[in-house]
Amino acid sequence: MAAPATTKLVFEQEGIFIHSSSARGEDQEVLISGFLRLIQKDGDFCVEYRPLEDAVDPSNMLCAGKDSSSVVEWTQTPQCAGERPHRPVEPQQSYETEWDMINTVSFKRKPYANGEGVSHQVHERSRWAFFFNVSDLKSIRVKTEGWAYLVFCLREDTRLPALHFHQGGSEDFLDCLRRYVVLSECPGDKTCLMVCSHSKALSQSFENLMEDDTTYGVVQKLRKDPYTATFGGFAKVTNYLFDAFRWPELEQEPQATPEAEVSPDTLSEVIPGLEINQQQEPGFEVITRVDLGRRPDVERRDPVSAEDWARRVDSEGRVRDVSHLKRLVFKGGLCHALRKEAWKFLLGYFPWESTREERKNLQKRKTDEYFRMKLQWKSVSEEQEKRNSRLRDNRSLIEKDVNRTDRTNKFYEGPDNPGLILLHDILMTYCMYDFDLGYVQGMNDLLSPILYVMENEVDAFWCFVAYMEQMHQNFEEQMQGMKTQLIQLSTLLRLLDLAFWNYLEAQDSGYLYFCFRWLLIRFKRELTFQDVLRLWEVMWTGLPCQNFHLLVCCAILDSEKQKIMEEHYGFNEILKHINELSMKLDIEEILQKAEAICIQIKSCKDIPHSVSEILGFNEEAELPATEAEAGDSERPDPPAPSHAPPSHIPPSHAPPSHVRQERVTDLISNGNGHLHEAAHDVYKIAYIS
Amino acid sequence: MASKSSLLKVILLGDGGVGKSSLMNRYVTNKFDTHLFHTIGVEFLNKDLEVDGHMVTMQIWDTAGQERFRSLRTPFYRGSDCCLLTFSVDDSQSFLNLANWKKEFIYYADVKEPESFPFVVLGNKLDVTERQVSLEEARQWCRDNGGHPYFETSAKDATNVAAAFEEAVRRVLAAEDRAEHLIPTDTVNLHRKPRSSASCC
Repeated sequence: MAAPATTKLVFEQEGIFIHSSSARGEDQEVLISGFLRLIQKDGDFCVEYRPLEDAVDPSNMLCAGKDSSSVVEWTQTPQCAGERPHRPVEPQQSYETEWDMINTVSFKRKPYANGEGVSHQVHERSRWAFFFNVSDLKSIRVKTEGWAYLVFCLREDTRLPALHFHQGGSEDFLDCLRRYVVLSECPGDKTCLMVCSHSKALSQSFENLMEDDTTYGVVQKLRKDPYTATFGGFAKVTNYLFDAFRWPELEQEPQATPEAEVSPDTLSEVIPGLEINQQQEPGFEVITRVDLGRRPDVERRDPVSAEDWARRVDSEGRVRDVSHLKRLVFKGGLCHALRKEAWKFLLGYFPWESTREERKNLQKRKTDEYFRMKLQWKSVSEEQEKRNSRLRDNRSLIEKDVNRTDRTNKFYEGPDNPGLILLHDILMTYCMYDFDLGYVQGMNDLLSPILYVMENEVDAFWCFVAYMEQMHQNFEEQMQGMKTQLIQLSTLLRLLDLAFWNYLEAQDSGYLYFCFRWLLIRFKRELTFQDVLRLWEVMWTGLPCQNFHLLVCCAILDSEKQKIMEEHYGFNEILKHINELSMKLDIEEILQKAEAICIQIKSCKDIPHSVSEILGFNEEAELPATEAEAGDSERPDPPAPSHAPPSHIPPSHAPPSHVRQERVTDLISNGNGHLHEAAHDVYKIAYIS
Repeated sequence: MASKSSLLKVILLGDGGVGKSSLMNRYVTNKFDTHLFHTIGVEFLNKDLEVDGHMVTMQIWDTAGQERFRSLRTPFYRGSDCCLLTFSVDDSQSFLNLANWKKEFIYYADVKEPESFPFVVLGNKLDVTERQVSLEEARQWCRDNGGHPYFETSAKDATNVAAAFEEAVRRVLAAEDRAEHLIPTDTVNLHRKPRSSASCC
């Protein structure tokens, strides 16, 4: 980018309002919507507020010079909020229009710092624009009235009109500001933040949950700026996130790099191919919303019956018409009697095209193999175990957890239930099968329904092994699978419901931590036991898209969104609310909605690349991976879990401690570098190459 | 920003299966379920109580104890007012791990003065007959590691559970009193969660 390095945008948020009547004492309140920006200009930091419809007109921009006291309209009536200069303001838009904007979050943005090609008609509302140097800032009043609003007070007691953060984000702005100035609470008045000095503030918000991890800081910045990382461009950012996202390690020394010394350019250094547009090019527009179109109505069907299944098995026991059968399972699940047989195929323990005879041989072989591994831990003496802490720890935790696994289920209830011994033995044998992984809490949750259905130790073990192939990453030391899924889920949610996503971000919940349990054990604790069986068999079909379970998450969140937003739930309340959904969810309703969402996304032409990648729309959408299952493979290969696409960055290359919130404009190569313009007017991307 | 209310964030740490969730449930709901699932992720419950004339809302955070889930639970350490280090008296390994738990907490909670931070140590499962950790051993550890109060509890039969949580509150209030006398008030305490967020449940 050939942008001058002297001006950088370090923070930007749209949808920040001035309430005109409260500021000017008029009867009719007009809401002025605009952007708030923090700009680095020639080494100084400036705050700019500009109404949305504002045309750039320097004569209308109220400027405060670097070394002058700020000159703003409101100087006439310092401090007294009630006596604002009266100035006729004609409402430019109805409330509906304004609020509609908040609801759908589909702003179109005028190019930043670009005066060309825009209307010369200056709106009255541009009077509300202001601009001042941070060094002229004396204090900030932080108040709430359902949402937060900020009032800047400049030196010489000039007070600017209150900025209302209807959609949250005031804390983010203050956090961002804290990097350049020290803000301290005024003694005796907690609503007032005094600006202490211009020194590069080292104080960071300790409220921000994940920010203790230095890398996450970068991630958070990227993700907190939804308007500047374009949807399409998010693919690359997401790729970067996959690997760069590191969790804090106890051994890890705190990053010593003072954030003030970190050049914003470093972000581009750690993301090769990612270009940072420091000053937006003329004519650039950012996608803020993709119109997904109507969500279709979807119907669920009855479970597949034993007859349905039998009709598709030939005389030698091969299952025919597998794709249709899977489709039926997806639409209705299986009747319980069929599960014991069908799950072995769905999980990939039995190849679909195998004959009854082949399966008999396979089971025989697998039985030998199982007992050989079982004997390995069974034959460890007490003395040996004393010197084997890994085995000891695994055994100790398995014993504890088995005793608290589905104990209200008939199959596992009561003292000395034989089901518990089987759970224990299978989990111990799994430790021998995959000693590197060992036992991780949650595996018991995954095994329990399988054992319940199989009623057979060996079959349950191998089906569990197959399921673990899909879930392995969730349980690994670095929990990469969990991180990947949380990021993917965030990407999907952003596409589906930007307003909700923004709300969650504003509540420090954009990382979707509260979905952790859902993802770790595939809703095992959220649903009744019978519903878990239904959901799992549906998911194992690999239909209707890859990572369908993430759409299941989206479907649940879609149903909870209204309550969460209406009740203004904060971080803790969201976590608690989601945790308490357990056993209150309706599986058929969820599956219906999740499938509808899938069809909705699939039929949209303009879905970002990152989203198609997650849902596997880029690949041939014909048959899931299990379809062409190899005959007698040693280790079954169930549908492969989605893996993070290869990243440009080696995982060890951690970005510096704090990279400023940047305008990140990622460019998508569509092969010819030309402007790609989608059907929907809100979706425009400019390609600059 | 809200005026000072009295939300105290207390976090239960300790090895998997020592009874963290059971202690929380016993204290908040006065129930005990032998077959309670192990915790996945993090959960919390609120409990209102009065200690020495102070009305407080205790927000008790319960975490997954297995080492593997460290990266999940540690972000929740920040803003804690007190840490309840928990082991089980019938599991010597869980007792030996107390030091690691304390270390992990201090690191991730970003405790500035570990010496004065209120920890309370709980030896749970007092109802179990085969002890592996003696009362004296546990007391000695508490003495050697900063003079933490020690409680032997049983979530199962409710022994000492309320006493332990109340002690946690007392420690926090005492620490705050000290802090108010020592620290000039013109600085912003950035670790403290805004107490206004205590409203739920």
